[in-house]
Amino acid sequence: MSTQSISTASAGAFSVSGLMIVVASELAGAAFLREFLLAEDWRYVVALLAAFGVALVVMQSVPAIERRIENAFAAQRRAATIVAVLLVFAFPFALGGNTYALHLCVIAQLYAVLALALNFQLGSANIPNFATGASYGIGAYASALLALNFGVSFWLALPAAAIVATLSGFLLGLPSMRTRDSYLALVTIAFGVVVHQLLNNLEFTGGPNGLVGIPVPELFGHSFASPLVIFGVQLPSQANFYYLSAVLVAISILFAGRLHNSRVGLAWNALRADDLAARCQGINTTWYKVLAFAVDAFLAGFAGTIYAFYVGYISPDNFTFLVSVTIMTMVIAGGMDNILGVIVGAFLLTLLPEKLRAFSDYRILFFGVTVIAFLMIRPQGIFPQRLRRYGGH
Amino acid sequence: MEAPVVLSGEGLTMRFGGIVAMAEVSFELRRGEILGIIGPNGAGKSTLLNIVTGIYRPSSGEVWLEGERLNGIPSHRIVSRGIARTFQSSRLFTDLSVLDNVIIGRHSRTRSGVFDAIFRRGRADRELAESAAIAEELLKGVSRDLFDQRHRAAGELPQADRRRLEIARALASEPKVLLLDEPSSGMDDADTDALMDDIRAICAARPELSMMIIEHDMRLVAALPHRVMVLDYGQKLADGPYEEIRRIPRVQEAYLGRKAAQHA
Amino acid sequence: MADLLLQQLLNWIVLGSIYALIAVGFSLLFGVLNIIHFSHGDVSFVAPFVALGAVQVMVASLPVAATPGILLLCILLALLLTGILGVVLEVLVIRRFRNAPAMMALVATVALGIVLRELIRHLYPNGSNPHPFPRFVSGEIAIGGVNVSLFAVVAVVCSVAAVVGLFALLNHTRLGLHIRAVSQDRDAARLMSISPTRIFRATFFVASAIGAVGAVFFAGYANLIRFDFSIDVGLIGFSAAVLGGLGSMAGAIVGSLLIAGLDTFVQAVVPNGASYRLVFVFLLVIAVLVFKPAGLFGRTVVEKV
Repeated sequence: MSTQSISTASAGAFSVSGLMIVVASELAGAAFLREFLLAEDWRYVVALLAAFGVALVVMQSVPAIERRIENAFAAQRRAATIVAVLLVFAFPFALGGNTYALHLCVIAQLYAVLALALNFQLGSANIPNFATGASYGIGAYASALLALNFGVSFWLALPAAAIVATLSGFLLGLPSMRTRDSYLALVTIAFGVVVHQLLNNLEFTGGPNGLVGIPVPELFGHSFASPLVIFGVQLPSQANFYYLSAVLVAISILFAGRLHNSRVGLAWNALRADDLAARCQGINTTWYKVLAFAVDAFLAGFAGTIYAFYVGYISPDNFTFLVSVTIMTMVIAGGMDNILGVIVGAFLLTLLPEKLRAFSDYRILFFGVTVIAFLMIRPQGIFPQRLRRYGGH
Repeated sequence: MEAPVVLSGEGLTMRFGGIVAMAEVSFELRRGEILGIIGPNGAGKSTLLNIVTGIYRPSSGEVWLEGERLNGIPSHRIVSRGIARTFQSSRLFTDLSVLDNVIIGRHSRTRSGVFDAIFRRGRADRELAESAAIAEELLKGVSRDLFDQRHRAAGELPQADRRRLEIARALASEPKVLLLDEPSSGMDDADTDALMDDIRAICAARPELSMMIIEHDMRLVAALPHRVMVLDYGQKLADGPYEEIRRIPRVQEAYLGRKAAQHA
Repeated sequence: MADLLLQQLLNWIVLGSIYALIAVGFSLLFGVLNIIHFSHGDVSFVAPFVALGAVQVMVASLPVAATPGILLLCILLALLLTGILGVVLEVLVIRRFRNAPAMMALVATVALGIVLRELIRHLYPNGSNPHPFPRFVSGEIAIGGVNVSLFAVVAVVCSVAAVVGLFALLNHTRLGLHIRAVSQDRDAARLMSISPTRIFRATFFVASAIGAVGAVFFAGYANLIRFDFSIDVGLIGFSAAVLGGLGSMAGAIVGSLLIAGLDTFVQAVVPNGASYRLVFVFLLVIAVLVFKPAGLFGRTVVEKV
């Protein structure tokens, strides 16, 4: 532990510039996101993407910069968190009442939650799961059905749907006790198709038309459909869901961080590296695999509920195989087992197709090409996996 | 008076389809004893280790650890009963740090689950910090050099250090019995000498620990084990002190080779 | 009653043969490359569009009518081009994922499938809409006193011939020997001066061309082709290959017949079965994999420790 005291001592001189680095990088990130969201001209969008690409290339070719930023964040964790919270809080004010930009933020944040959920499996434990979209859908349908048929309020439907999704996650995880790799991938694909087909055909889920008229949540008499007034500034009604989903992202980050730096996260990493060797360290790998499925579904269920109550209507086509693939791509492109990377991946892949509306019809094509190009050019993701830090290291 | 038996096998037989990999092998391991296992490739040495650690389920026969029958108990539970092992082809968690590898070795001695990690963080953190401290001590005990590299990825270590790390990881579960599968494979003489010193130091610090070592390097087999068991074609050929077993002609032929047989 | 049963039986075999043609490609590619080429179905389904496009171009530019003969010629051209497309994709994309983690290759090829479908949608005139796909044989034939569609019989016969041809290629030719060598041990094959790269390309050609046969028959069977047909059929072909045990040709065929059987049965017997067919098919897939984790004919690998 002597190393720790050394690093704290040096942190004194380091902290001022460290703090500046932290604040500057977070401000730059927020400013970039704002520009990207508000950009109208596709040429500007492309220029922004190019700038992002250049930043990545610079970081890759000069690792010292990356290390410096990383060390600054590690040394200034509390300050970094406070600044981040303030920025997230202030962000809607900076969008100038642009409801579409705010809407994109909500969707991107929900996808960030889904990507973080999948990251437990795909990133930490390298278990394929092509059914996160299905868990997302199960959460959405469970909460919507509760609200429509039994008048359950959003706040009760939220945990209830998460429990339903978790149970289905356990169910989906059971085959993982025996199958693995491509075979397990197919089991999850099959599960996703079955869920989608059932939603599409069953009477009580409304068939292909889905469910409509999901009531708007209320909190202390404030309807989420009405504009939000903070400090005398009126924000569009989407801001309600912006803050709600931001809280969910924060909770997910907390979950992810704590699990990563725990015995559970280590066990997942161990079975990722070598299943048999993990068993020989006393790890019940079967249980940890099923657990990863359950944790994934739990968070996906939350995201699904918020989505259902946000848009007010859901249909099976919101939860297809393609949605699951998109979430997988977010994790892989962002950086497996890296919380920040996964969130960046989720934002990028949610916003990219929306921002390329100039190519409206070619959006899906462009999406596919981008994914392939990404996997070929930077297979380790935007922010690759890192070794854990203990004490000052 | 002899030390009590810790681990024993009775009539262990292992069939894969039609192939008999192990036939009616029995053995005993006493507290604080080092048992060497030798035999040509395919003699069933690794099979024996896999049966004891629950990776294979024997076709017949029984394994006992201090009066408890181990048959049918899954491998991850066997670790918490007190048997730890290393692998012939060192199977480290290569993309994790050296320290993480050893901390994972303490999995069976720690308890925190998802609930603790999220809602009782103090408790989970304390347990992890404790594991990290124990892991650091273990690394120091096994090799100071390894300790200095504890924040590197395990995959970056040179071969000899990988073996040491595997041993440290196995010791982290506080085993009663440690099984080493060809610890010196891929090492030169100098590395092997260092390894032997390490093993001696480990034994000196843990007089209660029993070991089974599968080895090809006769220098190690001659020096370390109290007793040597010879396997050939899945059967037990001999069992006794090295000085005795090396005189048995069949052993010389089957394992030490004809040359050695002529020398003796 | 009897002819209804025979009709269903024929449906089953036709569907099973078509699935099998796609499934053997998945299995063959996995056996050789050790990665899932998820877009194999999408590659195969380029063929009907090429054939249809070629017919239209020929009719427009040459003094010929769209006779069955011309159609057949165009189909053969499509098979060839689809095989080449497979090789091109291997060279451009899939090659780079050969040593990557399995999931990365899987996601990349899923994306590749999206790209292929979108390309068809945008490049083929009016590509978002379904197009009628002609059959090159029509009429009926009497089997056991029951009239059945001649096309169905031809489809089955051609499928069997293609599969037999594939088996012959694998087991009785030099190329087949090399393919099998590479799939068993890439490095050892290299030491025997077999170039894995060349074998990969050959495998892609063969697999894609055989898949194309399946796709063309599927289009003919449905009398229709649309850019997204490959999603379901590709997924079913993949499932059949996994069900049978990846790498096993016989397994892929058995898996296809099993899935096609359930598919036909559900549509014929279960009320509203057409909507629930995929539910049943994929529940079967899950059930089989739970009890046989490496598929029906897959080798359960005893892990070497």
